[in-house]
Amino acid sequence: MLCEKCGKNHATTHIKTVIGGVVHEKNLCGYCAASEGYNSIGHNSLTEMLSSVFGDVLASSKNAAATRCSCCGATFSDIAETGKVGCSECYTTFYSELLPYLKRVHGSTKHAGKVPNKAPLIVKPREETVEDLRLRLSELVSSEMFEEAAIVRDKIKKLEGKGNE
Amino acid sequence: MSSWYMKKSLDNGIAVSSRIRLARNIKGLAFPSRMTDNDRQKLNETVKNAILESNTPFSKSLKFIDMEDVPENEKFSMVERHIISPEFASSQKRRAIIISEDESICIMIGEEDHLRIQVIYGGLELEKAYDVAEKLDTLLSGSLNFAFDSNLGFLTECPTNLGTGLRASVMLHLPVIEGEGGIADLAQSVNKIGFTVRGMYGEGSKAIGSLYQISNQITLGISEKNALDNLKIITTQLIEREQKARESLNKIKVEDLCMRAFGLLSNARLLSSEEMMNLISRIKLGQSLGIIDCENINPMGIFVEAQPYMLMRKFGTMSADERDIYRANFVREEIGKEKI
Repeated sequence: MLCEKCGKNHATTHIKTVIGGVVHEKNLCGYCAASEGYNSIGHNSLTEMLSSVFGDVLASSKNAAATRCSCCGATFSDIAETGKVGCSECYTTFYSELLPYLKRVHGSTKHAGKVPNKAPLIVKPREETVEDLRLRLSELVSSEMFEEAAIVRDKIKKLEGKGNE
Repeated sequence: MSSWYMKKSLDNGIAVSSRIRLARNIKGLAFPSRMTDNDRQKLNETVKNAILESNTPFSKSLKFIDMEDVPENEKFSMVERHIISPEFASSQKRRAIIISEDESICIMIGEEDHLRIQVIYGGLELEKAYDVAEKLDTLLSGSLNFAFDSNLGFLTECPTNLGTGLRASVMLHLPVIEGEGGIADLAQSVNKIGFTVRGMYGEGSKAIGSLYQISNQITLGISEKNALDNLKIITTQLIEREQKARESLNKIKVEDLCMRAFGLLSNARLLSSEEMMNLISRIKLGQSLGIIDCENINPMGIFVEAQPYMLMRKFGTMSADERDIYRANFVREEIGKEKI
């Protein structure tokens, strides 16, 4: 494939961006990619990813503007718009909304580094929400672990049943 | 110890500096974008006391500076010396730093996070820099209640810093890889493994002076040690690649390139920042190849000291045109230390 900008060199940089569910594709050679600022790919894509992923969550979450963090008063819309979290408590308040994004940025959602002196040694596991379970379900299905997936699916049904009562 | 840019370059001088930054926040306090001036003042005092009253070597070697007391030229020259970020310097909000005499340690209070602990050294010194930052972190975590979650690690205002809150970076001088058009490839390949490359000076895709910063992007799910080890491996490989590429250069051509830069800098009466940076980059290359054989010239020292605010800090506020005169004079004098 030739670079779509200069039409001379072989396209070696393929950039896909998803903004609000619409996919944009670009195929450039190294030089044209650099001239468009894609030589610092990580830097650009992180910020772009931030708005695109938050946009997706925002669209699917109805109470984005309704729930407020009890500590700083931020809503999830505030966070999605600025890409900045209001306070440390927001990570608890908006945990399930933030989780898919964190996974995409870091590839992991489990801290593996230093633990400060004062961190409690025994941490009570957070109760799983329907969103957590859905995420796990899709992971299990994609790794073809159907037996486990069925268990998770039943859990989701049960939780959702409760909510409707 | 002296500032990172005053350190004599070791080996081939490709690794210019190593920087460690730890992002930390205090539990229950709104992150800086949502803080009031009152919150800020309180935060400044709390951090100040946590260090200065700690009765450790840090309490003697570090000093607290309220950014309101710092003149504009000095503030922006700190950016040029890589002590504080441009956003921090231009902010109108109440901010403070805690800094060491040689400026290798600087804690920014109220930047994007409540605390940004930064340690910067000349050369490839990642472990040493991390060691100091880690000690400071441990000291501070003894009296400040850092926001931490067992799953998400240290909590930060921007979710891209979650986890270790560690951004480790190395600044490399890569004129030959750059000259061969290899930077775009390089950026792509390090990006795949969670690192990023960007030009240190200049904007957008244009890097001036062939100085590039390699840093880690991922902070969650990776330990500090692994992140540092990976960065070190990548850096070592890049240094080798640049070194190899230097060895295969056409000798007379590169000698011509470096000596022309030397000639220009020795005689110019007007010198813009950009021209200075590009020429000094060649002097640096020439020095490492033994073409410009003089130890008295410190290219990175000149590079930093001839930046706009560094000049105004020394010679007073002036227009860009006037600066070009002062810059040419300053560089001529520094380069004059050379006797070929």
